[in-house]
Amino acid sequence: MNPELIEKVTRLVVEKLQAQETSDVNGQKSSAAVKFWRHTSSPGTQPSRMSEEVIEAGKQDTDGLIKIKSYQNSNAFKITPTDKASHDKTESYSGKTGIDNPADPVELEALKSKTPARIGVGRAGSRPKTDTWLKFRFDHAAAVDAVYGDVNDELINRLGLFKVNTMVNEKEVYIRRPDYGRKLSEEAKKIILAKCQKGPAVQIILSDGLSSSAIEENAEDVYLSLQQSLKSLGLDMGTPFYIEKGRVAVMDEVGELLKPKVVVLLIGERPGLVSAESLSAYLCYEPRKGTIEADRMVISNIHKGGIPPAEAGAYLGTVIQKVIKYEASGVSLVKKEG
Amino acid sequence: MLKRYDAQKENIISAGIDIGTSTTKLVISRFSLMNMAGGTHMPRIEIIEKEVLYRSPIYRTPLLTASSIDIQAVERLVREEYITAGIEPADIKTGAVIITGETATKHNAEEMVHSLSDHAGDFLVATAGPDLEGIIAAKGSGAYELSKRTGKTVANIDIGGGTANAAVYRSGRLCGTCTLHIGGRLIEFSDGKIISISPPVQQILRLWGADLERGDSRNHPIIGKLTDYMAEVIGRMLRKDLHREDLPLLLGHDPNWTEEIDYIMFSGGISECLYHFENAESSPAQYDDIGKMLAQSLRNCRELAAFKWVEPDETVRATVLGAGTQTTEISGATIHAEGHELPIRNLPVYQIRFDNNLEKGLHQITEAVKKAVEIYDPQQEGQNFALYLTALPYLGFRDIQELSSVLLKSLQAKPMPEQPLVVVLESDHAKVLGQTIKVQETKQSIVCIDQIKVEHGDYIDIGHLLQTNVVPVVTKTLTFHR
Repeated sequence: MNPELIEKVTRLVVEKLQAQETSDVNGQKSSAAVKFWRHTSSPGTQPSRMSEEVIEAGKQDTDGLIKIKSYQNSNAFKITPTDKASHDKTESYSGKTGIDNPADPVELEALKSKTPARIGVGRAGSRPKTDTWLKFRFDHAAAVDAVYGDVNDELINRLGLFKVNTMVNEKEVYIRRPDYGRKLSEEAKKIILAKCQKGPAVQIILSDGLSSSAIEENAEDVYLSLQQSLKSLGLDMGTPFYIEKGRVAVMDEVGELLKPKVVVLLIGERPGLVSAESLSAYLCYEPRKGTIEADRMVISNIHKGGIPPAEAGAYLGTVIQKVIKYEASGVSLVKKEG
Repeated sequence: MLKRYDAQKENIISAGIDIGTSTTKLVISRFSLMNMAGGTHMPRIEIIEKEVLYRSPIYRTPLLTASSIDIQAVERLVREEYITAGIEPADIKTGAVIITGETATKHNAEEMVHSLSDHAGDFLVATAGPDLEGIIAAKGSGAYELSKRTGKTVANIDIGGGTANAAVYRSGRLCGTCTLHIGGRLIEFSDGKIISISPPVQQILRLWGADLERGDSRNHPIIGKLTDYMAEVIGRMLRKDLHREDLPLLLGHDPNWTEEIDYIMFSGGISECLYHFENAESSPAQYDDIGKMLAQSLRNCRELAAFKWVEPDETVRATVLGAGTQTTEISGATIHAEGHELPIRNLPVYQIRFDNNLEKGLHQITEAVKKAVEIYDPQQEGQNFALYLTALPYLGFRDIQELSSVLLKSLQAKPMPEQPLVVVLESDHAKVLGQTIKVQETKQSIVCIDQIKVEHGDYIDIGHLLQTNVVPVVTKTLTFHR
């Protein structure tokens, strides 16, 4: 089925579900309980108001455990001013999508805030709750989209890059034949030789790899910040370009062609269910055909919920400086340093 | 053979000095710093181990007169202890001098603590204040750890010669503090006779219409009644139920936590009277005051028996251990700090809340800098301050550039704009922001650090850049994590 259609239908169903629940409670509109992972913004931290009201109202009649009353009985949910005032304190936990009647909601929230993993989500019988399950499906769909999507040409142009191909012509081949993703097409080699400065200190390459969303969302900030960092350090950065459907070791071919000191490859990581847009920066000192993996190094987990892209770019500059100073990367660098 | 991959490591020496109402003591400890991030991440340097290398004996606090400390005697004492410990002042990379209890009210207290922090170490921070005492003692006694481990609400009550400082923690979060004029030295004896009664106790006696004067026998029955009463007041304080007639004993604000307390722990000199952890030799100071009676009253108090008592890890040394081992924080590892500007001491913090809205935040900056100058440098003498940017939204590179240029522009409001621009960020953006500011204005000196939690109005001290590219930071006031 068409992925866009699936997304649309999922949204419709979830919104409908939520609209119902909201009107059951007190007829007020409230923010959606399921948070869609928005690819364009950081995940919201606002909890659902509706859920709090349910919990607060329940609190009135018991000191110990919180009772959640039937959703049909809307009279039970009149909010008194004192309840309103106490909202601030329990603001950060949303009972409905999580565990029912947690013994220690504050502690639970503290634990949940420490990880993006799906903990404390509660259950309905032996299964996850509907919201949790839909969120899971949605994240899975986003991961699939990230693998099969393409990077927008507009971004590549905005960064002033040109685009070349590997020996892969379609995504199915890319997945089945990793070796093709490590080799540049003949045409690509010609273009690179024609357009790029030879023997720069640093050669930056971008590639979608397994996540086009990683490049679309995060590459620009890493790239611009890295550019500034290299400039401040006085390192010459050659002519950066974009390789479509590349694998990490494609940097070896680029190394052969252009003979830079260091290659930095910003490439989309295999998407997971927490983030489908995580970016890695692979570095290698003088990569050539036959370079062993131990000589590569990587800064991974660059995305809005991980290492902030702009900070990663600034940090990469200092790593590159070290690689150039010791004329080594990866395990060799550790040996030389220590 | 394969070489094992060793994570980046570094050791630093920290000192803690506690100058209290009755006693003065010192500890030297070693912190091990290590990069705790995986090999594929940006470094994250943390303190992984704290080892106490040396504990001094417990000395009587040297006084010149009743209202002034013998600064030279204290400095001599510290110097001699360093020699015994085999430490040079220059070895000390971080730590705190804390002046506690009634000693903090002596007329030369401030001079004392600043002179000591200047002479006794490279980066030794001067601290004082009843709330801070309570917090530091709770960390030294083990109450903070206990709350973190058990998730319970734990109150630590550190009772020394002059004050009882309570700090309440739940799951490692500070819930609140309270300080009372309750301590061993509030009535002192000599040759079986009373030689001094402190003013708060005199007030209580007046309220009771009781008659107790200098020269009376130490066995006067009213003294027992008084220590029993003090124990009850501590019980009421823990329940946030202080009576109007208890107020003469309250120092500063009312108890400000909202939680019900599960466990209580006593530290300080009075706790030593309860638990006897110390060797007799390590404590040359002997006390002729109501300390022991107060300890007895605490033990017999019904109000206090209702709580679960937990023995502390440390009694009389809780505060000094807290000061020596629990005051230092480590900044993020990707920062921009110009070495020649460090260390920076006593920098007030001005917070700018972005509320996850960049536009809104940027608009506030210029105004905030003007206000910070008004508050912290009303005479335009050049008192620098740190800008603490919180609740920042996600920042892309262009956002950073914009933020940087607004910050630079706002500096014009400072009487000395060429002073280092000190920025503290909650989120991990210090390196890119520092670098961007430097690119936009090469002459501007910058200290931009991140991943430090402070509060508006706190004072911070920033130490030298360490080999692991982090800076030690000591924050000096309350941090309530509600």
